[in-house]
Amino acid sequence: MQTVLNPSMQEAADALIGNLLASEAFVRCQQAHTRLNEDHQARTLLEQLSQAQADLRKKQANSGVIQTEIDNLRTLQEQVQHNNVIMTYAQTQQEAVNFLREINDEISQLLGINFASFANHTTC
Amino acid sequence: MEDTVLEDIEIASPSMVKQAARDFAAALAETPQFKAFEQTAYAFRQNQAAQLALQAYQQKQQSLRALLMLNALSAEQHDELERLESAFITQPVVQKYFTAQAELATLCQALGDALSESIGLNYAAACGVSCCG
Repeated sequence: MQTVLNPSMQEAADALIGNLLASEAFVRCQQAHTRLNEDHQARTLLEQLSQAQADLRKKQANSGVIQTEIDNLRTLQEQVQHNNVIMTYAQTQQEAVNFLREINDEISQLLGINFASFANHTTC
Repeated sequence: MEDTVLEDIEIASPSMVKQAARDFAAALAETPQFKAFEQTAYAFRQNQAAQLALQAYQQKQQSLRALLMLNALSAEQHDELERLESAFITQPVVQKYFTAQAELATLCQALGDALSESIGLNYAAACGVSCCG
């Protein structure tokens, strides 16, 4: 069932979202994400890395990993770490996450509860 | 690292975003769900029977921790722990507190979902919250 927010709660949530999206951390992250999406080489590299990791996990489960596959994964990891577009995106995303944590602290201090814990869907 | 271009973009300063966060918290504090949570939490803290029942349950749990981890409780120990847990959670003041907590969580989850969807990050996960809070 969908929770209906009262008008003042909805307004405050919209204002917070608008401000977060206009913050420097989120603007930089969004710009880096756009550049990543537009960079064919960077996207291909990430897809290759993801595929190599999945293949290796599958083979590890079947005890069939060979050295050349491990070397291939390491090469891809190094290429990712040297790719400016990917690393800029990773760094700006981490900065956005750090800023979001500061904002959660601000909310939580005022309420006396950890807002993110209450907003979490998963339980043990 | 590549530098981003922020010219021609209206940036919200950290103090502006934090003010919006405080306004958000103030609006949440005014909701019936939050008020009910605060009231029931206070009633729970003030209720001696509920506090004693909680203490008894926690003490028993603590004393059996090693066996619990090994899943090696005897039937009697298991029954005793269940009896103490039941004695705690069936207290009316505790049930009201749990209900209010669940209703506040439902509201916070809806707000967290709205935030996550708009900012493109899972709010709770980004804030380092695991399944155990």
